[in-house]
Order: sequence, then C-alpha cells, then structure tokens
Amino acid sequence: MTARLAALAAALLLPPSAIACEPPLRGEGVQKIEGPRHVVAWRAPTALPLAQFFALEFAACARDGSRIDTPRIDATMPEHGHGMNYRPTVEPLGNGRFRASGLLLHMPGRWQLSFTVGDETLRAALKVD
Amino acid sequence: MRSIRSARLLAAFLCALLAAPGMVAASLLDFSAQERRQIASLGPWPPQAQPDPSNRISGNAPAVALGTRLFFDARLSPSGRIACVTCHQPDRGWADARPRARGLADLPRNTPALANLRQQRWFGWGGGADSLWMANLRPLLDPREFDASAATIAGVYQRDPDLACLYRRAFGQAPTKRGKDHETVLVNTAKALAAFQETLATGRTPFDEFRDAVARGDDDVAARYPLAAQQGLRLFIGRGNCIACHNGPNFSNGEFADVGVPYFIAPGKVDAGRHDDLQRLRASPYNLLGRHSDDAGRSSATATRHAVLEPRHWGEFRVPSLRNVAVSAPYMHNGSIPTLRDVVLHYSTLDESRIHASSQPLLRALRLSPEETDALVVFLETLTDAHGADRPRPPLPAACD
Repeated sequence: MTARLAALAAALLLPPSAIACEPPLRGEGVQKIEGPRHVVAWRAPTALPLAQFFALEFAACARDGSRIDTPRIDATMPEHGHGMNYRPTVEPLGNGRFRASGLLLHMPGRWQLSFTVGDETLRAALKVD
Repeated sequence: MRSIRSARLLAAFLCALLAAPGMVAASLLDFSAQERRQIASLGPWPPQAQPDPSNRISGNAPAVALGTRLFFDARLSPSGRIACVTCHQPDRGWADARPRARGLADLPRNTPALANLRQQRWFGWGGGADSLWMANLRPLLDPREFDASAATIAGVYQRDPDLACLYRRAFGQAPTKRGKDHETVLVNTAKALAAFQETLATGRTPFDEFRDAVARGDDDVAARYPLAAQQGLRLFIGRGNCIACHNGPNFSNGEFADVGVPYFIAPGKVDAGRHDDLQRLRASPYNLLGRHSDDAGRSSATATRHAVLEPRHWGEFRVPSLRNVAVSAPYMHNGSIPTLRDVVLHYSTLDESRIHASSQPLLRALRLSPEETDALVVFLETLTDAHGADRPRPPLPAACD
C-alpha cells in the first residue's frame, strides 16, 4: 500500500512525458522503445530473415493515457539512404496491440525500424546477417 | 558457344577434383566465424520443391506433360515461327546466348536462363510479373514475340485432339470452344507452361560441396575446394560486398538494383526497368491480386500487395541468380557484357558517378588486382553444375488417349 502511494505521488510530481505506460506485450524476445510521449514494445522473429517477408507483433501506449490510433511502421538502411521496397500494413489486434506484415529487409547490414505513433516516431536498430 | 563449352569443362573438372579426395593439396583459408556464417547462408542446395499456390496445377504430372509439349510447340505463335524453345534452348542453358532476345522482332532485353524459378519472387528483368504463369502471358501476347491472342491459343487445341486430351488430363475439363472463355484457356496454357518450367533446376555445384562441409565443420573436405575459389569467395562476401544483393541459396535477394549498366535502348529511348514494370504489373488483370490466381487466400500475393513504387526504382533491374552463371553469357539486363571476367571488371572499374545513391553508396569500384579478378571469376565458375549449358532435355509426353 505504501509503495503504491509512493508511486502515485511520484507520478503526480513528474511531468507527463515521464509518466510510465506499459504496452500490453510481454514475454520472450520483447523489446521496448521509450519515447517522450509513447512507449512501443515489439517482438521480432527469432532470427530476422534476409530478403524474406516477415511479420511482427507490437504494442503501443501513450504516456498521457490517450487512445492510440493505428501506428505506421517502416524500415530503412540509414547508411545507404534507402528503405524497403515494400510498404508494410498494420492491423489492430485490440487493446493497443498490432500486427505489422509485409516487411522485407533485402540486404544484410544495419537497418532502422521506425514506429510512428501519432506525431512521434520511435526507432530501433536491427542487424540482419 | 566456345566459352560455354569451356565453362562446362571447367565445372566438370572442379566437380571431379572434389569427388577425388587426396588429388589436391588440401588448403583452407582461415575463414572467421562471421565468414563461415555468411558461407553457410549461401545454401543448402537444392531447396525443397514447393508448389505454387497461385497455380492449381503446379507440381501436377499431367500439367508438366502438357507444359512440356506446349514449350516446344511453335503453333502457339500464329506465324508458326516462335515457340518458347526458340529463345529458351536446352543446349544453351535454357537461354539463347544472344545479347538481346529476338522473336518476331528484336527485343531490348537479354533472354533469362530458365532455372530454379520457384525461388523467384518477381519475373522478368523489371519484375513485370509476380508469378511464373503471368510471366508466360507477356511473350505469348507480345506482337514482337508470339503475337498470339486468347482466340489463337484456344484454336491450337481445337485443331489438335491430342493436345486437347493433354489439356483435359491437366485441368479435368476440355479446352472450351466458346469465345468468351478463351481467356481461361490462355491463362491455363500459361499455367501449364509454368508447371513445366518449374521443373528446370540446376544441380549441386563444387561450391555446394564446400559450403556444406563448412556448415558441418568438416575442414578436411572444405579444403578440397580450390584455393583460388576460396580467395574469390572471400572477396565476394567481404570487400566486394557482392553478397549484399547476391545472397541466400539462390545467390539473389530477389529484388532490384541499378549497377551502372546503361539503360538507353535507342537514341532518346530508355528502359526504365523496375519503375515502369511495377506500374504495368499493378495495372494488369493477371497479377496475383486478380481473379486468375488460384490462391484463394492470396497468401502468395504478399509482394504484390506491399510493393511500393519509388523514384529510385528508375533504371533498376532484377538481381539475377548466380547459379550456373558461368554458362549464362552474355550478362546484364541488356546482354551488354560478354563474359564473366568482363562482369567482374565492370564492378572493378565502376563509374560511381553513374549510380544514383544518397549517403554511403553501396556500389563502389572494387579496383581489383589481376589476381583478385581471376580469383573472383574462379569462384563464380564453381557455382555452375556438371551439366553446364547443356541441360537435360525433357522427354515429350506420349500420345494422349
């Protein structure tokens, strides 16, 4: 009880951008990206396939508790200045969870995965062998 | 033809070396763990055969029989002069060894060798087709190639009861004589051709023996792979970064690239490659999102559904497989490079200003020494199987009754 009160007091004292939210996706292989206004949790395939289509599940939440519209997802190779040859689609699964399909990373190397939630883009680094 | 024979002899020689332990002084480069992972990623070979869900007769023996007969049948062209085999000749690696294809008229692109086609996501140099059966429709209907129509194709069956019998065996119903259904006969013809073409495969190569040995940690067997080929392979996966596009067991990522080959086909006329062909694909009623696909769930249409058209696709062409590359000369989408050595020299002396790229360019002139050039060529030659350019000719089906 004391801990809950302490957490509540801390949350009230902190600016909205620092308020935690927990995307509803847990388990093995889940990675989290913390942004000022949103948090995204995503689960990639065990081994990212090179030049093969794959899908991934992710979840997002807004720190201010507002509703999440369907995010957009993309991937680029920043070093080479190009993205994928495909535009993924994102399907809402309910309760802040989504499934992205149509991703294909056609070259080995460093990729950057980006989730655009509202006006905020959260990025994660990927390495494809 | 001389270069094809030489390449075939070399492939046979390399196979013989690998099959004869103790014949070669064993020597293996000190490949790192990362290099070994990259080598392993280039196999295994052959892949498991998977039928095409968009083609209900894919993998079906009666359909293969019909497709085989059709492939060699010049009556598919109303002129009686063009069959698939006119350009895709079994003794030329199922290609024609010409820089650019010639049907009833000259065409601007090189005839691709037919092999391992179930490994491809896109067909044609610009990916203008998203299935093998769709890829068959373009030459059939193109006035420069077969110059056929749905009605002329349907007429071929009407005049040949034996062919109509093969069709009936493959599809479970006779080719219709009604004009409004001729399109179904046309599409089914393309699907039967695809069922045959899917059976054309390249076999195991000296590289595959080496790759498997590396993957299972058998350095003694791996050391039988010629040292020059190992050195070329190291360049391929390392400094040359060829593996960026030529990756996976089929040595192609299945996508598109601009590698600095001129795309002018006549003064003031260009071949825009992927940029134009993707637009044609989207507009076609025969793509995998259309009603002619047999894949009800459209699971095979993922690439078509998600493909995005970007300005950078202008002048890009499909990354070809390197399997049997030693016998598929001439090279590039326009057949403008005559030999494998010239291809390596092209990448060695690339005009970087010609490549449109932002940030860090993927392609850079490799500036290879003569020894490195030789090694890369030797490595590429080990990707060719023992049949080389002289592919096994399939038996024509017996009479149908």
